[in-house]
Amino acid sequence: MVSTATAEAPQSGKGLSPAAEPAVNHIEAHGLNKTFGSFKALEDIDFAIRNQEFVSVLGPSGCGKSTLLRIVAGLIPYESGSATIKGEMVRAPRPDVGVVFQTNNMLPWLTVRRNVELGARIRNMPADARDAAVDKILDVLSLTKFADAHPHQLSGGMRQRASIGQALVLDPQILLMDEPFGALDALTRDKLNVELLRIWQESRKTVMLITHSIAEAVFLSDRVLVMADRPGKIVEEVTIDLPRPRNAATTRAMPKFGEYVAYLGKVMGVAS
Amino acid sequence: MPGVSSRLAAYSQVVLFFGAFLLFWEYGVRYFEVKSYILPPISAIAVAVWEARSEIFENSMYTLAEVLIGFGAAVVVGVMLGMVVYVSPFAQRTIYPLVTALQTTPKSALAPLMIVWFGYGFISKVAMAFLFAFFPIVVATLGGFAGTAKNLEEHFRALNAGPWRTFTTLRLPSALPSFIDGCRVAMPLAMIGAIIGELVGSERGLGNLIMLGTASTRTDLVFGCIIVITLISLALYALIEFAAKSVWWRGIQV
Ligand SMILES: Nc1ncnc2c1ncn2[C@@H]1O[C@H](COP(=O)(O)OP(=O)(O)O)[C@@H](O)[C@H]1O
Ligand SMILES: [Mg+2]
Repeated sequence: MVSTATAEAPQSGKGLSPAAEPAVNHIEAHGLNKTFGSFKALEDIDFAIRNQEFVSVLGPSGCGKSTLLRIVAGLIPYESGSATIKGEMVRAPRPDVGVVFQTNNMLPWLTVRRNVELGARIRNMPADARDAAVDKILDVLSLTKFADAHPHQLSGGMRQRASIGQALVLDPQILLMDEPFGALDALTRDKLNVELLRIWQESRKTVMLITHSIAEAVFLSDRVLVMADRPGKIVEEVTIDLPRPRNAATTRAMPKFGEYVAYLGKVMGVAS
Repeated sequence: MPGVSSRLAAYSQVVLFFGAFLLFWEYGVRYFEVKSYILPPISAIAVAVWEARSEIFENSMYTLAEVLIGFGAAVVVGVMLGMVVYVSPFAQRTIYPLVTALQTTPKSALAPLMIVWFGYGFISKVAMAFLFAFFPIVVATLGGFAGTAKNLEEHFRALNAGPWRTFTTLRLPSALPSFIDGCRVAMPLAMIGAIIGELVGSERGLGNLIMLGTASTRTDLVFGCIIVITLISLALYALIEFAAKSVWWRGIQV
């Protein structure tokens, strides 16, 4: 089964807050191709992520997941096809899109607080609004006690949380995350999954999460896109029909959860 | 506290070692009847330095000024050139190979030329200090900027950070540890440059005093000058080390 989401053209909001949300699809790609020299990294990528939808992209290492995220984030150009955010062609990074990268992006010489407020400073947020936003995010991420510590004094999990805080401080409507928990141990990863779920359930951002953890993708997502490599393309799309709000204990214990994990495992085995 | 007694032990070892060294020098030259114009006893050197203290002090200040001005100029010009080469591919293709080639020229061979160009006075020694200190600083600065973490640069691009913001908030702090390393190398070199300049041709300075001392077989004074030069170099190095403390994030990867 090779299916890609049928892309809807941007249309004026129906049922959503009418003024601010003209497009139903926050992120869209149509026939997207990307090559590095003669190497075809992405071929004919088609997908759409709706407003406030949580979508994960699963795929083997090197299949072009990070490349896809960079294109959507406006960080690298692409050859043909289109990538749009809220119906607008992506040409450069946008203020309404927050990015969390694979490696954490802490500046070693700044305190955690300074690191978290970096984006707010760069985007010239007024000082009072910035301080309030940073206080809130440090609190949400349980980093208040470590506000004045430097990144090297934190554990890997805390650093990664602070990295997410760096993106959240600007309260972006769209959050792109590239294997944010990839370098963490399983236990810490599970904990941060729960935290991320809680944050998302409270703030309802549109999320594109890149991951190679099937359980993580199933636990968090409304939909999972599966990629294959050489060349990188989307080979499968699975809607995760687990009830929300989800939580750590009950959701992971549902039989359906196990079925999704098993199914995606099979697909991934075939795909990679 | 285990630290205090072990540190005390370490200090006393140093003191004991140098004490023994000085005693050996003092009594060794007497015992082996070394001629004092070859190697005077350390006490004779101390007396000579004390007697010539105002002369040594004045000449020290003169040499110190040459070193500091030459070093300062090397920092300013070196950092600017390092930056230009970093941002401009044109400069990278043209100026940088030239700098690399010039770096291998023995700078001491340029001393006579500096004297022809700038005379026997202050300027030619500043030029020598500059020449010695300049290259390590350019190379270290460039290396520092080029070593800026790629993921952090991308992070700044994702935030639409402008070039000035990226420079001050990311590139500058990234380059500082390497720059300080360059200064560590360059500072003693600036002193060497100034002294070579003074030895080749000068009217003042510690190098000049060494030449005068040699001409009148005042080996005690020559040794005194060498010791003073070493102490000044050490003090300057300590100054850089002190500054380096504020760049504590050297080598920290997070
Ligand atoms: N800047 C680049 N230049 C050349 N090849 C690249 C570049 N970036 C990525 N690639 C290649 O593209 C492929 C996909 O990379 P990436 O998107 O990082 O994969 P993933 O994130 O899925 O592991 C890999 O084979 C990688 O070597
Ligand atoms: Mg990747």
